[in-house]
Amino acid sequence: MSLSRRNLLKRSGAGFGTVGMLGALQSTGALSGMATAGQPGVVAAPHHAARAKRVIFLFMNGAPSHVDTFDPKPALEKHAGEAPTDDNGKKRAGGYMPSPFRFGAHGDSGVVMSELFPNLARHADDLCVIRSMHTDVPNHEPGLLLMQSGHQQPTRPCMGSWLSYGLGTENENLPSFVAISPGLPVVGPQLWSSAFLPGRHQGMEVNTNHVEVDKLIANLNNPRLSRDDQRRQLALLDQINGRHRQSRPADSALDTHIRSMELAFQMQSVASDAFDIRRESQATREAYGDTVYGRSCLLGRRLLENGVRVVQVFYVTKGGKQPWDTHSNNNEGHKKLCADSDKATAALLTDLKQRGLLDDTLVIWGGEFGRTPYAQMNKSKDLKKAGRDHHNTGFTMWLAGGGIRGGMMYGTTDEFGMHAVENRVHVHDLHATVLHQMGIDHTRLTYRYSGRDYRLTDVHGRVVSDIIA
Amino acid sequence: MLPTRASLVIFGLLVAPFATADEFFESRIRPVLVEHCYECHSESAGVIQAGLRLDAANKMREGGDSGSVIVPGDPEASLLIRSLRYEDIEMPPSGPLDEKIVRDFEAWVKKGAVDPRGDAAPSDQDNADGIDWDAAREFWSFRKPVEHPLPVRNPEWTAANWIDQFVQARLDAAGLKPNSPADRRTLIRRVTFDLTGLPPTADEVEDFVADPSPDAYERVVDRLLSSPQQGEHWTRLWLDVARYAEDQAHIVGKNDSLTYPNAYFYRDWAVSAFASDMPYDDFVRMQLAADVIAPDDRDAHLALGFLGLGPKYYRRGAPEVMADEWEDRIDTVTRGLLGLTVACARCHDHKYDPIETEDYYALAGVFAGTEMFNRPIDDTVKKKGPNAEKPQDAEHILREGKPRDLNVMIRGDVNRKGDVVPRRFLTVLSSSEPRKLDNGSGRVDLAEAIVDTGNPLTARVIVNRVWRQFTGAGFVETPSNFGVLGETPSHPELLDTLAVRFMREGWSLKWLQREIVLSATYQQGGGASEVAMQLDPANRLLWRMPARRLSIEAYRDAVLSAADRLERRIGGPSMEPHVADSTRRTLYSKISRLDLNPLLARFDFPDPNAHSAKRVETTTPLQKLFLMNSEFMNKSADTIARRTLDTAESLPSRIEFLYRELFGRRPSQSEVEWAESYVSTDDAEAWMRYAQVLLISNEMLFVD
Repeated sequence: MSLSRRNLLKRSGAGFGTVGMLGALQSTGALSGMATAGQPGVVAAPHHAARAKRVIFLFMNGAPSHVDTFDPKPALEKHAGEAPTDDNGKKRAGGYMPSPFRFGAHGDSGVVMSELFPNLARHADDLCVIRSMHTDVPNHEPGLLLMQSGHQQPTRPCMGSWLSYGLGTENENLPSFVAISPGLPVVGPQLWSSAFLPGRHQGMEVNTNHVEVDKLIANLNNPRLSRDDQRRQLALLDQINGRHRQSRPADSALDTHIRSMELAFQMQSVASDAFDIRRESQATREAYGDTVYGRSCLLGRRLLENGVRVVQVFYVTKGGKQPWDTHSNNNEGHKKLCADSDKATAALLTDLKQRGLLDDTLVIWGGEFGRTPYAQMNKSKDLKKAGRDHHNTGFTMWLAGGGIRGGMMYGTTDEFGMHAVENRVHVHDLHATVLHQMGIDHTRLTYRYSGRDYRLTDVHGRVVSDIIA
Repeated sequence: MLPTRASLVIFGLLVAPFATADEFFESRIRPVLVEHCYECHSESAGVIQAGLRLDAANKMREGGDSGSVIVPGDPEASLLIRSLRYEDIEMPPSGPLDEKIVRDFEAWVKKGAVDPRGDAAPSDQDNADGIDWDAAREFWSFRKPVEHPLPVRNPEWTAANWIDQFVQARLDAAGLKPNSPADRRTLIRRVTFDLTGLPPTADEVEDFVADPSPDAYERVVDRLLSSPQQGEHWTRLWLDVARYAEDQAHIVGKNDSLTYPNAYFYRDWAVSAFASDMPYDDFVRMQLAADVIAPDDRDAHLALGFLGLGPKYYRRGAPEVMADEWEDRIDTVTRGLLGLTVACARCHDHKYDPIETEDYYALAGVFAGTEMFNRPIDDTVKKKGPNAEKPQDAEHILREGKPRDLNVMIRGDVNRKGDVVPRRFLTVLSSSEPRKLDNGSGRVDLAEAIVDTGNPLTARVIVNRVWRQFTGAGFVETPSNFGVLGETPSHPELLDTLAVRFMREGWSLKWLQREIVLSATYQQGGGASEVAMQLDPANRLLWRMPARRLSIEAYRDAVLSAADRLERRIGGPSMEPHVADSTRRTLYSKISRLDLNPLLARFDFPDPNAHSAKRVETTTPLQKLFLMNSEFMNKSADTIARRTLDTAESLPSRIEFLYRELFGRRPSQSEVEWAESYVSTDDAEAWMRYAQVLLISNEMLFVD
């Protein structure tokens, strides 16, 4: 089986000369050796008009249960306890488990969600709930990597890095991509890795177990020197560097370093402000809730407002790297988790809206996959303590803002919530759609590495045009 | 473009016996194909998915990458029908079509799959099957390098050795001339950093400047080449190639079974290999197959960490995950040693280079027949089978597994098996029949094929990697891609002559380094005339030596060295380089695939999950924050300040002491004045602030 090369060339589609905008400049040498944050934020012309300028991805680590949140399945009641068969015809251990939560339609649009989201219900008309998500595997590690980077192995840049690479930053005093997580989630920093893209597209990791800005950003301030001390240091440094530069007229890279030092000095004050949620009013802080996730969302909003392009919020707790992984006590677990997630997420939407930011901010909510419509029992076979297992062939995520149609439920799973059947949306399709909203054609944002042009969606992905406003 | 309805009817009439079947096709089948399939499976699709076209009768009969999709008369055997039913492949991807439509397709296939559409003209792509190997081998990098005659010297210019004759011939032709030699202070700083990754001491600078003998420079070079620090410095270059790391990107909970706590055995093996100038061909042989080549030499087996420290992915053991791991091995070996992107051929023939999918699986078989081996350190440790039970008790190497040939995986899909390919070396690098790789796993054969003096790539690739360490740019600036998409060399004759001589000199890396640093090209100054800047601003022709930024390793080591804090012990377990009290060379950093040290990550250290062709250089405010504010820098500045106050009395002598220690020169008049107005007391804090300014200045970060 020998495919002709020219044949393949034709099939490869995204081909020559379609690197990211910044990359294009780099590859022509326009920025060689100095494509840096020392440059003004490189915001290049997008492929088409962008509907969103920034993204915040609220990631529920461990995977929320779709049948308890946004995808009601009355059939589970009727067939409760009946065991579905697996691929090999074997009965699943636990039978179908109905959700104990009441569902209702909300807003003018009648978007349906369970009673676990009383606050979010008020934003029903802003949400586009995709009930027909599917992904490749029911395992956390590859599932997380696929959701963040489009690939199951830890060798590819994540979506935030691609966006940073493609669009640059809007505030050169801040990183373009920030990953907010109270401690590390499962898989860890690979989820905000730039992999083979230049290092500055790496998500900046912020540990929201802390509130103090000095602890959020390593080395933001010098513990021993005052701002005046440093101002004086930099004045001297400028003299010294200036003399050094003068005798090296051909080495313009030196300028980048001089400028970057000044930027770092500016960043200390800009970041000290942007990263400090204590500057928010008491009322705002209360609206988000004084939980780690609430603080993460609030910090996320401050960063978006200050020009950060992509914010990734991981729902992780001090004791749990994937709190939504409810293999046992699914119902109790979801009650608590949703209460926290509901309050802060709704507050974020309200806040973004009030500030006029929701229109061009894309909000994404969801996990790496869904949970089984049937029960997972422990040895005691106590249904009250039953959990739900990992489930990848049908689950729910929702989007809001950023030019997405609000008040919409898109796609369906089958009668039991087992498999996405109608208007199926793969993770690659989600990525293609997010990039599209940001003004990027996912087949054309490429980076040449290791002999080929890589892209976030590899050879997959289609823009889900039905959900675009 | 669809034929018009009218013409179709006429077509139908001409083949009258099938008129009803045609009607059925036209009304029930074709519209569905147009609406749901053409987007991805027609000539007008940007990318013809799976190589399958459904927009012409002959194309639809031929099928795609998975073979035929229709068996006329037998819906059950037709992949098209199974896909519409969402049985194995699921089509269309947006969701299954109406059951009624699927039944139409079933009926249509059952009745013989009559397709009244015309055939598409066979396009040129169909004729291109197979590679013309003789033509392919004519590409520059696949031709054996030959030694070129030395170009005639231009008597006006200093040519210290034969390398200069090649460089200067190009300059001559372009109307350029090389710079005059750099001054001695610049030169010793440059060559010390380049050979050892460390700055010269103040005394070494002064001795060299004061040495009138004609061979003063040569003696410095030989001293540096024989220093143990030379081995440390060059090891880091290699560790980037080998994507060296001490753990995995996936670590489930506290399960450390896949980590490599003793990875440093391999790192230290490399340090001693470089320091002892192990011939590069042996260096490669040992890293690929030391266990087979030297079965009784346990220490030599540590070389196998090159592959034995490779990524192990989550759910390893599953066929698709193992296929991913083999890709890593192939990628590291072929990009790292051959400058070829063979991994591109995993799912389809290489799109640009003459590498077929069969070539890929012929190599993958070698790694499929090799096992990752946690060899017990000694007889006392607990074992699990042949492996040490705990990784802490193990050397992370390789051993022979069950030799096996692999099937081609169609489109890289483990479930779609093509023909079995016997293990063999790359066709394009073999003058006739590719060498078989079938002794055991085939690793020894593979090593021999790579270091064969007839292999056109191996010597060129390592020579180019070494060259770019000295000049900041390779002859080929895509150091791991010498294929069609790679760059063509700036100095092809010089590259080839270096490669041939390098092999003749016993693949000696120290010989190579020595030849380069003894050239006038390397020793020239950094000045820039306007004419030259206009003719060759990127310095491709090497008329100057530009200021080069230090790597994070060299910079951090230089700071420690300036503060007289650098610990010179060679080898041993790793440390965290950002910590204020870590005083070992940066080479000895812990390298994590899971959570790369924040200092390294911030300063362009490559992702150790994959082979790195070269470092990317970025300059960011976050890097500068580390310089301005970190405990590591504060502590280093403190130490230097204290040394200054202890060593020298007067203000000018203190300033001079600092300049000599940090930059190997005396301060200028203006630098003294600026310093005097900045720091005027004995206050240690003020001296610390001053020392820090010097430490973070561009002069410290760059080497001329």
